[in-house]
Amino acid sequence: MAHHADARAVTGAHDTFPKLLELNAVRFAARPAMRHKDLGIWRTWTWAEVAREVRDFALGLGELGLKRGDKVAIVGRNRPKLYWSMAAIQSWGGVPVPVYSDSVADEMAYVLEHAEASMAMVEDQEQVDKLLSVSERLPHLAHVIYDEPRGLRDYDHSRMHSFEEVQEIGRRAAGDPAKVAALDAAIATGKGSDLAIMLYTSGTTGRPKGVMLSNDNVIVSARNGGLFDGLTETEETIAYLPLAWVGDNIFSYAQSYVLGFCVNCPESAETVVEDRREIGTSYAFAPPRVYENLLTQTMVRMEDAGPLKKKMFDYFLGVAKEWGEKILNKESVPLGARLQYAVGEVLVYGPLKNRFGLTNIRVGYTAGEAIGPEIFKFFRSLGINLKQLYGQTEASVYITAQPDGEIYADTVGKPNIDVELKIDDSGEVLYRSPGVFLGYYKDPEKTAETKTADGWVRSGDAGFFDPKTGHLKIIDRAKDVGKLRSGALFAPKYIENKLKFYPNIKEVVAFGQDRDFVTCFLNIDLTAVGSWAERNNVSYGSYQELAGNRDVLKTLTAHVDAVNRSLAEEPLMGGAQIRRFLALHKELDADDGELTRTQKVRRGFIAERYLPLVEALYDGSKRGRIRTEVTFEDGRKGVIEGDVEIIEMTIHPVAGTPFREAAE
Amino acid sequence: MRAPSATDIAAGEVILAVDNVSLSFGGVKALTDVSFDIKKGEVRAIIGPNGAGKTSMLNCINGFYHPTEGRITFKGETRPKMRPHEAAAGGIARTFQNVALFKGMSTLDNIMAGRTLKMNRSFFWHILRYGPAMDEEIAHRRFVEEIIDFLEIQHIRKTPVGKLPYGLQKRVELGRALAMEPEVLLLDEPMAGMNLEEKEDMCRFILDVSNQYGTTIALIEHDMGVVMDLSDRVVVLEYGRKIADGTPDEVKRDQRVIDAYLGVGH
Amino acid sequence: MTDVTLTTRKPFLGEGQRNGLIAGGALALFIAALVVATQTGTITRNDWTYKIFVDPFVSMVDMPDLLVQTVWEGFVAGVLYSLIALGFVLIFKASGVFNFAQGIMVVFAALSLVGFYEFLTLTVGMPPGFIAAIVALAGAVGIMFVLAVAVERIVLRPLVNQPDIIMLMATVGLTYFLIGFGEYIFGGSPKVMITSQLGLPTGSTMLDFAGGRINIQHLDVAAAIIAAVMIAVLGFFFQYTRIGRALRAVADSHKAALSVGISLNQIWVIVWFTAGIVALFTGIMWGARSDVSFALEIIALKALPVLIVGGFTSIPGAIVGGLIIGIGEKIGEFYWGPLLGGGIESWLAYIIALMFLMFRPQGLFGDKIIERI
Repeated sequence: MAHHADARAVTGAHDTFPKLLELNAVRFAARPAMRHKDLGIWRTWTWAEVAREVRDFALGLGELGLKRGDKVAIVGRNRPKLYWSMAAIQSWGGVPVPVYSDSVADEMAYVLEHAEASMAMVEDQEQVDKLLSVSERLPHLAHVIYDEPRGLRDYDHSRMHSFEEVQEIGRRAAGDPAKVAALDAAIATGKGSDLAIMLYTSGTTGRPKGVMLSNDNVIVSARNGGLFDGLTETEETIAYLPLAWVGDNIFSYAQSYVLGFCVNCPESAETVVEDRREIGTSYAFAPPRVYENLLTQTMVRMEDAGPLKKKMFDYFLGVAKEWGEKILNKESVPLGARLQYAVGEVLVYGPLKNRFGLTNIRVGYTAGEAIGPEIFKFFRSLGINLKQLYGQTEASVYITAQPDGEIYADTVGKPNIDVELKIDDSGEVLYRSPGVFLGYYKDPEKTAETKTADGWVRSGDAGFFDPKTGHLKIIDRAKDVGKLRSGALFAPKYIENKLKFYPNIKEVVAFGQDRDFVTCFLNIDLTAVGSWAERNNVSYGSYQELAGNRDVLKTLTAHVDAVNRSLAEEPLMGGAQIRRFLALHKELDADDGELTRTQKVRRGFIAERYLPLVEALYDGSKRGRIRTEVTFEDGRKGVIEGDVEIIEMTIHPVAGTPFREAAE
Repeated sequence: MRAPSATDIAAGEVILAVDNVSLSFGGVKALTDVSFDIKKGEVRAIIGPNGAGKTSMLNCINGFYHPTEGRITFKGETRPKMRPHEAAAGGIARTFQNVALFKGMSTLDNIMAGRTLKMNRSFFWHILRYGPAMDEEIAHRRFVEEIIDFLEIQHIRKTPVGKLPYGLQKRVELGRALAMEPEVLLLDEPMAGMNLEEKEDMCRFILDVSNQYGTTIALIEHDMGVVMDLSDRVVVLEYGRKIADGTPDEVKRDQRVIDAYLGVGH
Repeated sequence: MTDVTLTTRKPFLGEGQRNGLIAGGALALFIAALVVATQTGTITRNDWTYKIFVDPFVSMVDMPDLLVQTVWEGFVAGVLYSLIALGFVLIFKASGVFNFAQGIMVVFAALSLVGFYEFLTLTVGMPPGFIAAIVALAGAVGIMFVLAVAVERIVLRPLVNQPDIIMLMATVGLTYFLIGFGEYIFGGSPKVMITSQLGLPTGSTMLDFAGGRINIQHLDVAAAIIAAVMIAVLGFFFQYTRIGRALRAVADSHKAALSVGISLNQIWVIVWFTAGIVALFTGIMWGARSDVSFALEIIALKALPVLIVGGFTSIPGAIVGGLIIGIGEKIGEFYWGPLLGGGIESWLAYIIALMFLMFRPQGLFGDKIIERI
């Protein structure tokens, strides 16, 4: 236990990353710090080795003229040398500025220009080419350093170096005691309040903003996050999310330095799942789509499996659904169920977890957007400790997370350690924490808009505290939340998401802004409803016919009612229950301009196109009629005529009254 | 990857010469009196309308066909009855228009098969998988891994190639040819049937091979944009005869080429 | 790997297997009904239904020792069928040639061995015994190598790219050449295999079993072990060595194999030589059980039904197919043969094969595991 990472011990003297690295090189000298799969083999570097690599590179950077406060862009995927360069830059008091590696040259130029980057550490030829194509816009850029030399042999190397060359320059400099002393002095001068890193967030509108985070911001947040879930130096994580995303910086860099765990870099973007399985990660973080993809792949594979195997799979998933979460939450469970679950573990859950690379997982976060409760529960029922986390770049990630034993599919949890939360009158979530950013780079106006003088940050998200659990629930972006004529809060996306989690419902468009009540269009999911029809011998000739089927409408009504009921339980949202809805006679389609290419509904456009139906929803008619032009797959146009039934719902009484102040 | 074994032919000198080659199949003439040369280190494109005899030309160069008349000189040596495996041993690797892979074998095994000629240990050692043969196997595996890395196909290392999409199969086939460390690489429509992104990737790989390892490349291609971007010199065939030969710019301006090929809406 | 549920994507029960289960279940029910009918006196012991459908099974249950003895003998015969089929499969996969001469190669190999031994002991004057037998064995291996080279030079190379039927005819020609040539060199009279000289065991052991006794020939045990070792070695050879990779490559695509510098001619020699070695071992085992003469070629033709059952391109198929035919044949002969006056062993294999053709034309292992050669 002597060497066990006591996260709280990391304070005072070790308040910057270069200092933490020196500490780790001693306390975890022989422990793995980083692995990279290259040429089919995992290469490992211990903390002592990483410290050497970083030091050589840092000395080299010094020779190239890196000074305190200089910004260095980092462009590329998750590779060890890019992570090492961060610590090397920070050694001189420089500031790494990770840039999304898939951004086009123009976007990249904007960030480098704005940050006045004097150097760039890039992955390969592709990134070098992008930088060269915009070099006239980057007068500050003095040196480009690359990791992968392929294809770069014939390039002009007067201001371009390979990572190894810079290290070689550094090793030569190491012979000069004065230069070594200069580096040591630079490291010693660094302090917690110094700017540690700058992360550009795109936001939904306008140019990206450079979020400035200090060493204290990042280190204290990473430490608190580790304490929250009891993480230690024995964790294994895989680094696969963009370096420019604050999550990757915390999980794959800062927390690894603070706690001393090992970060694994995959062989390529396509091999992440396979690599994760080989490593057996114990700590994971991913946006919901990653989990969705894993589940979809599994289901597709099971469709191809033999009947016996499929039966076994279905049976044990049923067992898991009933008991898995309870077992994970350490509730009391009958012995018989435990035994069945144990058999299922051997036959189904174990192999599945192995396939996902989640066999050893202790904590897995899902963050970024709402995750479907089905997906969330599926993973938890297998015994994978998946939790929700709510974070922002401006908070050094951590705002709220779900403590063990308090996991719900529809909340984002309780405030993290040292985080204060409040919700203002408009419903916007505000937070204050040690992770709160210094400001936006070269943009005091925006900083003042977002961060109050006493340190509270406006999250831009609307939310409320769930009275049952005390957890925070996020509704939507604050600017997207509207009001009914009565003044009740109307969050269309929140309502739509609740409905879309039912497999029978593919798309939802909710209306209500400045109206008397909420209504919505539903799109049935042809696959799910079609297979229901097949099983129940319901014959139908077209999408339109199926969408208008009595029994289908009955099922949809039940779904809408369930959503209304759950809205009624939330004092803040209870006023926005769905009064009337209809099932659209055609599928919303990107080809008709009704969805964006990323499959998001275009509310305004749909409201115009289906105006007669929207009117019918509000004028009390029993049915709505409409003619719409559609584009067929082959490009021909046609007209679809719809005559759809409108269904009236009963509104449930709203529980309690909203309360706005909660856990500090 | 290591550079292919050096020969005494310097870059820019003729490594392969085709002299007055004719090829006929029972009276049908596929090639008539074709002459051109390939210089060491260059990218040489062979273009022409369908049925111009381009693939027949490649088949003559690597010994699948033997010219009925004329001769082909490779590294100063003329072998009228050279067979494909002898061509391979001499340093000529190729890919095929419609992909010829070992479909039941994994990507790794396919590319390893490209190392066949480089494995020197005797039959006996290989049966025992012992000592020197084992070391050799490991060295070859490392080489193959570098190719896998180069072509960015790590994720399909263990996948049977028959299950791969066409674009990736073409990439594996290129990998197998590279594994032979060839002096001359013959590519028969390396970008056929690919989408734009795959074409760009393939172009990059071909250029990288040429730049990094100085491998001489002869390629047949239909996409004129690709040909103009990639190649140093172009030879144009039509109905089995050579109608033009020169740099892409020269060829583009040649009236016969414009009439025969470029004009016909390609 | 614990990862079982998802990586194996083959259905747990294929359609054929399901059909088999249904058919088997129906048959069992039918027999049970007949047994009940007999018990109740509806059917007498002299009815043909009883003799065909009940009596054999009753005997199997009543005298398990006889059943085990029969299955064992069938197993040993099956092992030898497997080896012959294996030779076929090797050559078929690597060169696409259906080698009609595989059976005769077995006889020719055995004759070479015995002939060489006689030459050594009688003409050269070596003392008979183990040493001479081993030298003769080496000589026979040499002869198989010469044969492989000759076949490649004289038959395959000139006929390359000819239609399959031409190649088949060429191997038919090879068959008759080997018969004629063999008789010319070694004479037409049957010879005795040099079993004991080669150090193979000859005795037998009686085992007590379920009230009866089972007679196990030591030679049969040796045959089974040698066959198993040989198959394991071949499997390893194909899967893990450079030559094996080259062989699989050739089996997959001739054009591609040529382009990476694999010499087809060299591969053909290796394959024919390997098939020759397999033939030699088969010949030794078979010869030890009877005489060595061209009359043995009849067993060579048994390879055809074995291939139909197992599939033409699969080594596991050849092995399983051989065992099915071997065991099926012996059980058929022993339990049902007397009803037809015996001797059904000579054609039963073809009936079994016909039944497989109806249900699974591609054979048990068909083309599906082509990558395993």
